[in-house]
Amino acid sequence: MERNTRRNFIRKLGASVGAAGLVGSGSILSSCNRVETTAGDKIKLLTSSGELVEVDKSQLSPAEMPNLTENQKRGREGMPGRSWVMVIDLSKCRNARQCMQACQNHHQLRPEQHHINVLQMQDAEHTAPYYMPKPCQHCDNPPCTKVCPVNATFKREDGIVLIDNERCIGCRFCIAACPYSARVFNWFEPRDAEKYKGVTYNIEANVPQKKGTISKCLFSADRLRDGKLPSCVSACPNGVYWFGDRNEDAVTNGTTKETVSFSQLIKDNAAYTLMEELGTKPRVYYLPPKDRAFPFEGELIEHHS
Amino acid sequence: MKTKILLTFIVVLLFWRFPAASQEWLVPGNQLNVENPLPYNLENVQKGKDLYQQNCKSCHGDPGKNNHLPLAPPPPDIVSEQMQANTDGGLFYKITSGRGGMPQFETTISEDDRWRIINFIRNYNADYEQLLIDAPPVNAKLLASVNEADKKVEVLAEYEDKAGNFLQLENTPVFISAKKAFGNQLLGQALTDENGRAVYSIPETLIGDEQGLVSIVVTLGENYLAEQVVLEKAKVGKIKDVPKLIRKEVLWSTNENVQLWLLLSYIGAAGAAWIAIGYVVFQLIKIKKSGKE
Repeated sequence: MERNTRRNFIRKLGASVGAAGLVGSGSILSSCNRVETTAGDKIKLLTSSGELVEVDKSQLSPAEMPNLTENQKRGREGMPGRSWVMVIDLSKCRNARQCMQACQNHHQLRPEQHHINVLQMQDAEHTAPYYMPKPCQHCDNPPCTKVCPVNATFKREDGIVLIDNERCIGCRFCIAACPYSARVFNWFEPRDAEKYKGVTYNIEANVPQKKGTISKCLFSADRLRDGKLPSCVSACPNGVYWFGDRNEDAVTNGTTKETVSFSQLIKDNAAYTLMEELGTKPRVYYLPPKDRAFPFEGELIEHHS
Repeated sequence: MKTKILLTFIVVLLFWRFPAASQEWLVPGNQLNVENPLPYNLENVQKGKDLYQQNCKSCHGDPGKNNHLPLAPPPPDIVSEQMQANTDGGLFYKITSGRGGMPQFETTISEDDRWRIINFIRNYNADYEQLLIDAPPVNAKLLASVNEADKKVEVLAEYEDKAGNFLQLENTPVFISAKKAFGNQLLGQALTDENGRAVYSIPETLIGDEQGLVSIVVTLGENYLAEQVVLEKAKVGKIKDVPKLIRKEVLWSTNENVQLWLLLSYIGAAGAAWIAIGYVVFQLIKIKKSGKE
């Protein structure tokens, strides 16, 4: 008898758990499409223009998801056949910081926000210090896009990693995932917020910026569409940046406008990528800081023990 | 020349005395009269010109055009009095050591090449014979076509003489470039023959677009005023390889991007759990049945 009751219990338990699971999942699924209809209850809602309004619950009906704008659609796909790469010649960089300025102007960034930042580097105690501009590496195996819970940041077919700040919920997982610290968060109202009020969102420049969302380097994807070089590349007075299409094996210098073979440039100068041991496959190549024609004038923080 | 050196020396000494003029760039006395070890000849001046174009032009501008960068202190034009007043040794010292906005070239340009640059600067000094004659550019015409079968560019170059007639341009380099995303990549050059014709073989390694089409650009050197010829796209390059970059899959997030292996292994694991539970239940039933027997 005792054994029978246990079996019965298990049988009943199994059946009831299974049934509960079915009913539960069914009700969860159906609740997604259902709106409460009990009258009298008020509900607070945030409108798309940012106002908090109160509506009677019985008045609610499900709305259509707004479609992506044409800009957002093509911004997700990228430019066909292209494969953008950047080459940064560290032997030329003398910390003019014009790239940072041009970038901040283009992408509506506050002074403390950087899509590209010129770092002062010293690899080891007795090695020569140098300046290193560091944009987003636009990895071919990006860790940041994989952690986004809402698919707001994504990799395009032309190699650029973009962000859609109309989807971004500001969870900052991508900041944590990026090994290059390439992403910034809009903690405050963005620069010139008043000036950009009402401007249609351009996903390829990430302008206007939105408080509470992520921003990052986009290789000036909007300028590339117009056949122009990225802002930082064009602004450099010292010929540091080369930019071009790896598929057609050509990169153009932003200062001299000289166009050379990408593979030859990489080979002749023993180029390297940052932290390639992480398997991120970066798209930004660095030429080593040799034969520099100017002294290093920065301040180094001593962190070599 | 001697008087000039002496004059500079006096000027330098004068400024030395006045602290107000500490902006002046002083050259150590023992460096001032170092002589240029390289002969002043066309070869050295020509090489100096190439070096100047590569290393100096970006700040100092084109000779005599006063189009230097607006820096403080301004980088002087090499034709200017200020530049030419330097001694050879003084120029060498300044190029070697640099100051402020002017970089040092000790580590980047060899000693001989630095003297060649000085030879080029002296080309614009009235006391020197002008070896590089910057004649005003000559009007010229370029005609070009691409032979798709042989992958050759055929060029006909003509220049305008003083009477206004167009004559064949002999023994002159024409430059062949390919149009790329942001600029023209120089492929090479070809010399024109006595008929003003040049033929250039397009290298096998040239990459075109997805159909292998390339737009070839033909130009003449800077001594000629000729419109560059941009040829229509021709199938002379390799077909551009466009490797597929993304699989439109992410580890998690939205359903439409879910990876198949992840979906299958999840469903598989959940199914296996149910099968295991079912197996246990089945066994229990079996035990019960055998207990009854």
